[in-house]
Amino acid sequence: MAGDGLLKDPKWRLYLLGALLFLWCGAIGLRLVQLQIIHYGDWLQRAQRQQQRTIPVSPRRGIIYDRNGHELAMSISVDSVFAVPSEIPDPANTASLLARVLRSDPRDMVTRLKGSHSFVWIARKVDAETSQRIRGMNLRGIYFQKEPKRFYPKRELAAQTIGYVGLDDEGLGGIEHAFDARLRGTPGKMLITMDARRKWFGRVERQPDPGENVVLTIDEKIQYIVEKELEQAMHDSRAEAGMVIVQNPRTGEILALANRPTFNANIYKDAPQAALKNRAVSDIFEPGSVFKVVTYSSAVEEKLIKPEDPIDCQGGVIAVGGIRIHDLHKMGVVAIADAVAHSSDVAAVKVGMRVGEQRLYNYIRGFGFGQQTGIELPGETRGMTKPVNRWSKVSIGAISIGQEIGVTPLQLASMMSTVANDGVYTPSRIVAGVLPPRKTPQTVTFQRPQQRRVISTMTAAQMRRMLEGVVLFGTGRRAILDGYTSAGKTGTAQKIDPNTGTYSRSKYVATFAGFSPVNNPALTIVVSLDSPIGLHQGGQVSAPVFTRIAQQVLAYLNVPHDAEVKNDKRLQLRASVKDDELNEDSTDRIGGGLQAAPNAAPDPQPKSAPVIAAPSAPAKVVAAALTARSSALPSGPAPALDERLGGGTIVLDVGGGVVVPSFAGKTLRSAIEAAQDAGLEMEAVGSGVAREQSPPAGTRVANGARVSVRFSR
Amino acid sequence: MAKRVSVDKTLFTVTLILVFIGLVMVFSASAVVAKERFGSPYYFVLRQFGWALAGLAAMFAAMRLDYRRYKHPAVVFSLMGITTLLLVLVFFLDRSHNTHRWIRLGVLSFQPSELAKPALILFLAYFLETRTKFMDDWRRTLIPATAPAVVMAALILMQPDLGTALACGAISAVVLFVAGMSLKYYAWALAPLPLFFYVFVVRVPWRYQRILAFIDPYSDPQGRGFHIIQSLIAVGTGGLTGLGLMEGKQKLFYLPEPHTDFIFAVTAEELGLLGATLVVVLFAIFLYRAIRAAVLTDDIFARYLATGIGAMVGVQALFNISVVLGMAPTKGIPLPFISYGGSSLFITLASVGVLLNITQHAD
Repeated sequence: MAGDGLLKDPKWRLYLLGALLFLWCGAIGLRLVQLQIIHYGDWLQRAQRQQQRTIPVSPRRGIIYDRNGHELAMSISVDSVFAVPSEIPDPANTASLLARVLRSDPRDMVTRLKGSHSFVWIARKVDAETSQRIRGMNLRGIYFQKEPKRFYPKRELAAQTIGYVGLDDEGLGGIEHAFDARLRGTPGKMLITMDARRKWFGRVERQPDPGENVVLTIDEKIQYIVEKELEQAMHDSRAEAGMVIVQNPRTGEILALANRPTFNANIYKDAPQAALKNRAVSDIFEPGSVFKVVTYSSAVEEKLIKPEDPIDCQGGVIAVGGIRIHDLHKMGVVAIADAVAHSSDVAAVKVGMRVGEQRLYNYIRGFGFGQQTGIELPGETRGMTKPVNRWSKVSIGAISIGQEIGVTPLQLASMMSTVANDGVYTPSRIVAGVLPPRKTPQTVTFQRPQQRRVISTMTAAQMRRMLEGVVLFGTGRRAILDGYTSAGKTGTAQKIDPNTGTYSRSKYVATFAGFSPVNNPALTIVVSLDSPIGLHQGGQVSAPVFTRIAQQVLAYLNVPHDAEVKNDKRLQLRASVKDDELNEDSTDRIGGGLQAAPNAAPDPQPKSAPVIAAPSAPAKVVAAALTARSSALPSGPAPALDERLGGGTIVLDVGGGVVVPSFAGKTLRSAIEAAQDAGLEMEAVGSGVAREQSPPAGTRVANGARVSVRFSR
Repeated sequence: MAKRVSVDKTLFTVTLILVFIGLVMVFSASAVVAKERFGSPYYFVLRQFGWALAGLAAMFAAMRLDYRRYKHPAVVFSLMGITTLLLVLVFFLDRSHNTHRWIRLGVLSFQPSELAKPALILFLAYFLETRTKFMDDWRRTLIPATAPAVVMAALILMQPDLGTALACGAISAVVLFVAGMSLKYYAWALAPLPLFFYVFVVRVPWRYQRILAFIDPYSDPQGRGFHIIQSLIAVGTGGLTGLGLMEGKQKLFYLPEPHTDFIFAVTAEELGLLGATLVVVLFAIFLYRAIRAAVLTDDIFARYLATGIGAMVGVQALFNISVVLGMAPTKGIPLPFISYGGSSLFITLASVGVLLNITQHAD
């Protein structure tokens, strides 16, 4: 080796050693320049990405109000627990502590805490006590986030209509589902940085936008009356299910809609499927005699009959296509009105045949059967109506008495409302409007509904009189009201046994659909009880429910009396009627049933949420607004039809300003949420905990006002 | 024999500056963690300060004590014996974090493996001086010279503390090199390295993962590569002038050992390129002065001693910094003078005292 000579000298070896070490120093210097100068930007970005955290700030979901501004669904703030696994010093210990409080599997918890994610949920939306216990343990790497939790203060009230939400606040049923996109709001973003002393410093990147509020046409008080009376009826009749609709026949607004069985929307997970169903729009059933309203209306409108015309009920027997059907109430030649009052099938079949297949079908469609009513609820079905070319020889007879056709309770309500509303069909609606958040006072202006005339005013008036006869002399005598006239039609239909697919001999759907007062109707009410035990006729079990509800609701709405109060004759008429006098529909069947209509399957697709257009002239309506309640009650001389059908207005004063909460001691995050909950904009200055605020706590300010909060350590 | 000259003031000053920087950085890197864990931000820095005072006292004492007094079998072999005894004893006394590194005496704790380094240096200097004429006789020189180093390194490796074991090996290799050991032995020593690497690195999963992480930290940024990436982020964000003393963020949430093995990352983050370069330059000056002392002395024992002490500081410093900068796999070697750790600081300072004493005899 050439250098071996030099390397024999220990000094040269030292020089070589020194040179090597200095080279190493030089390499380190170059590496420092590379890291700290050349790639400085990259590393800075990387550091920020991990030292800062963007946390979404949940928006407050919109409130669902009844027509008078009472909250039916609202959101409250609760704690959710999350972990940052990289900050947890002892995952096994932390996991076992958490698992004990949360009563969950410790092994599962360990897996979650040892994961390589920078963020993992431990428990969502825990109750205050659990949250306190976890806070008390002071665990490193475990943090809390406020999340809004849906709260239904009225529990079961209108549960199927309002709906419910899942864990991530996604609307899963009813209005919550149909209006999810508008109720939801837009999440905000918050940037969290930690400083060198392990203090959090947050900065709002984007304020969360709360969701829009939905105002229903439901009146909480009316709904309460209906819920209570339906509950009582379920108890008395021992029915499997039940449903009541209360509608304003002039505007199509649903004032109350109740279902049994029902559920508490706060704990919807415990509810059986049957309770979640909104039967008013999703159930299809054979209406039975109630449907004769369509048969007679079309005959009167086509000038084929007049109420006082005689008709031969043939002693209660008629043969249709070789099938004989019998009336329970055997009659000879009577006036049409009497045949209606006693619900003669023979008369209805004969009248229907005179109307003829195509014309009857046109009226069926005209009254809205076989189509969605357009109500803003998910899962509405069209019902089952088959076109004339698929009718059998006997179909005309069957359909005339409400067999071989499938309808929803809401369609029946629309039919009754059409008669009540002088022959003009009005689509049903349950949403009064959607309000932007944080503005007060708020006004919902109704759009004029898309109405259409089905029968003339004259025909409607004659039908109302005949239907009043049903109540006064016929199968609906239990629907006589004290102080008000009333009209309606009973119906009792055999139920299809889901096991055999044939008509049940013991299970009936008992219906009463009616309105009151007769000449200027303020309410349409449909009561339908599914499979009552014992008494099962519409006139026996459903009419009394109509009576109890109508009596209370008419009083609540201050509808002027149009009959003598405490009239002994009327009340005695109601009291004297015996159960068997109210029997109507025999079990005779004409032709096939619903299952014989193969191509008329219900529309299974839930309809999407309709968009409510902004009112065309918003501001000026407020002053001249009729409140919704009075819009149902045109007083004095009846105004022209158009005027009465015009857009009504609900004036909704939500809150009327808010009281500024105290932010003292709050962290930035909880301050933002407190501000949001109060409906205020917050402006944050500094970091740490809130020390000063302006305006001070307790001040009353307008909704959406700006509050300035100063933070310091 | 050379006449007595004044002590190497440059070496002395550089040492004091490094100790000072160490105390500042230990405080900055540990204050928040110390406050959280022990209730006082000064917990670590006060301990370190105590050890620094003790270490400086030992340095002054050693500076004044003629190094030739160590050139005596009683000194050399009793130091070797005590060290070996403690290295064995530690297996019975300590079991923390699955390792056996510490001997605790009340509030004081001591790492015997730190003592192994000066013990080996002293032994090699003493022994090799007697073998100057037989450097190429491997039976008379190489085997007896390396046997104690191999035994101690093996004991340390069993703690397990690969970093210190490697440091012992590296220091021995440097001293042997300066003593004129033929380069062919180094080739032979390197030959079984692959086998050694397989047994002690590949077969030990956590070490293997460190190596994998070193080769490609981003293959698993949340797992194996985490420490290296976090260290690079700390250094990188320092930029030219740094975030400012106490302002570093990586030490809080991301760096695994901010006040010990990764203290240079905190230094680079808070003091920037200027501060980091200053530390490197100070170590370079230290090395230069140590080698200069070794060159200038006529006493072979002193030369080997100076070389060993210089290598002890230099190899550990450069290796530690290389690890922090992602230039070498993580090994758990402290940064002399600066990393928190009492026994390391005390023994390093005492050794520097010996080195300073040697400089007084150079001319």
